[in-house]
Amino acid sequence: MSEIIYAYGEFFDRKLHPGSLEILTPLRDIASALNKKVALLILSSSLEEVKNCEDIERADCDEVHLVVHESLHHVRDDLYGRVLAQIIRQKNPFGVFFPATHQGSSLAPRVAGELQVGLCAHVNGFTLKEGNLYMLRPTYGDNIIAELYSKSRPIMATLSLGAFSIREGKRAPRVVMIDLPKDFNWESKIRVRRAIKVKREPNRLSIAKVVVAGGLGLKTKENFQKLFELASLLEGEVGATRPVCHAGWVDEGRMIGVSGVSVRPKLYIGFGISGSIQHTVGIENSEFIVAVNIDKEAPLVKIANVALIADAGKVLDTLIKKLSRSSQSEL
Amino acid sequence: MEKIIVCVKAVPDLRSVKVDPETHTLRRDSADLLLNPHDAPAIELAMRLKERLGVEVVVLTMGPPNASSVLRRVYSLGADRLILLSDRAFAGSDTLATSKVLAKALEKLSPFSLVLMGLKSIDGETAQVPPETAVLLGIPSVTNVRNISVENGVFILERVTDYGIEELEVAPPLVVSVTTKLDYIRPPSLKRLLKEREVEVTIWNAETLRLSQEEVGLRGSPTQVASVFEKTISSKGEIWEGPPEELSERLIELLRQKGFLKS
Ligand SMILES: Cc1cc2nc3c(=O)[nH]c(=O)nc-3n(C[C@H](O)[C@H](O)[C@H](O)COP(=O)(O)OP(=O)(O)OC[C@H]3O[C@@H](n4cnc5c(N)ncnc54)[C@H](O)[C@@H]3O)c2cc1C
Ligand SMILES: Nc1ncnc2c1ncn2[C@@H]1O[C@H](COP(=O)(O)O)[C@@H](O)[C@H]1O
Repeated sequence: MSEIIYAYGEFFDRKLHPGSLEILTPLRDIASALNKKVALLILSSSLEEVKNCEDIERADCDEVHLVVHESLHHVRDDLYGRVLAQIIRQKNPFGVFFPATHQGSSLAPRVAGELQVGLCAHVNGFTLKEGNLYMLRPTYGDNIIAELYSKSRPIMATLSLGAFSIREGKRAPRVVMIDLPKDFNWESKIRVRRAIKVKREPNRLSIAKVVVAGGLGLKTKENFQKLFELASLLEGEVGATRPVCHAGWVDEGRMIGVSGVSVRPKLYIGFGISGSIQHTVGIENSEFIVAVNIDKEAPLVKIANVALIADAGKVLDTLIKKLSRSSQSEL
Repeated sequence: MEKIIVCVKAVPDLRSVKVDPETHTLRRDSADLLLNPHDAPAIELAMRLKERLGVEVVVLTMGPPNASSVLRRVYSLGADRLILLSDRAFAGSDTLATSKVLAKALEKLSPFSLVLMGLKSIDGETAQVPPETAVLLGIPSVTNVRNISVENGVFILERVTDYGIEELEVAPPLVVSVTTKLDYIRPPSLKRLLKEREVEVTIWNAETLRLSQEEVGLRGSPTQVASVFEKTISSKGEIWEGPPEELSERLIELLRQKGFLKS
């Protein structure tokens, strides 16, 4: 029987992508129910980089499988895909899962295509029935979840970012070095001329304690911009729905939901957001939900702990006015 | 340089589309179809390369017969040849089955130097089809590219990653998926818009592509929907109505009580 469940460990600059740590949480539960083990699969160009990495030591998995080769310095999709497929052929795992990062979403289909196996996307939950693994994903229709399975092995999927919270492992995982055949072709057709590291403002949305989000009901980009003011008054972060990102009101990195990130704040306030399931799967772990909407029947109004039936732009304006007044009076 | 091929997807207009109450999939046959908005940047980059290299641009889509209207729209943006991959047997294809159909069509069209695709489709939103098609063809793929140029017969790509920007060099042929935003996207040409209805759309089916029924569509798709279920919402929340001023004050008071506000 195949006994390993792999999680792809996206490793860069001596750090694991948090997405790789998140996906270990459900995989660990599946592994214990099915009596299998979870391994984080990491490709790197230097053992030094991976050694003493705190993220790895604290990862909630049984093993870390490491492939180290100088050709792995840059992530070149053709080569990385081939290395991953080769390891999968060698180890015959039960499942292989990727965080839905840019890198994970680019590599997973190369591996699935090479092995000719199925690959699910946007998975944000699992169910086990009689030893069979089903993957959950929101689908079309009001509040509908689809339960998927894969006819092929290994089972493969990309998992939504933020859908699972990171759990720390009880003890450091065992590190296993993986050797590829002597005649393995390490060449890539892609040559990296330059890689410019960009220090992006880290998006703290998925770990924010307060999230103020806006949808089309805010009507204009100008109104949407005001969310940043409210967010700073509440020491929170700004989130958005997909159509708002597509309209160019805000960067896609702020999208909450199945195609964006999941959040788990103490307080979530949604301004002019209908609350379709593709969005609400990303907020269901919020402790307290406030909706501002003119439509009493909107799904978000029903989910909310408190719903304000009013114009979102006006409520936003008055909140900012009143809160900035009270914070000034503190000075 | 050989020809450039752009793969576009005809996606249902979410305002017109109906959801099948049984399967909870989109009823694509009845829906108005639009060009996947994320494919517009791929078409734009193809046109920029066409201007510089003078190569032919072929546009390809797999979809229902009415997807031809979407292809004609791409003609107005500058496409030279339109090909529709359409067959009942293709219905229900997952990304692997879709990629197989596209790969077969691309093989039939080879030699080509470059295949351009959108980063993701707005209905499937998997971003899987470009790399999966590339690997089935045994060629490299680069995702999320925002700029392409050519030097000495080699493509120079600017790729956006989560960590920065990469400048890559790849010899043809390859598959590239393009970022969802570009600085500029040209409007359709008026002259071409007027000819849109007359242009020919070549149709290829499973037989033309030598694909068996087992390889494609629902049967050729390893990922399957086992069931769908409704998520129950317990609407236990309070509903407040009144003037915005008053509601805001009540909200601030509540947030204070709950400890979400400092004072
Ligand atoms: C494959 C796929 C993936 C998707 N992924 C995501 C995702 O990750 N994230 C996401 O958010 N969406 C996603 N979507 C889109 C999603 O289905 C919804 O279309 C979207 O969430 C709706 O955004 P919205 O609430 O801003 O707009 P709408 O649904 O148009 O809602 C606007 C709301 O504003 C209210 N309103 C109008 N005027 C006012 C006013 N003056 N004051 C207050 N309220 C007002 C309306 O009553 C309405 O409830 C996805 C869709 C698909 C098909
Ligand atoms: N049926 C299709 N026909 C042609 N191209 C497609 C099709 N499906 C997906 N693509 C291409 O693959 C890209 C990514 O789509 P997806 O993997 O569905 O998110 C799209 O932007 C298209 O360029």
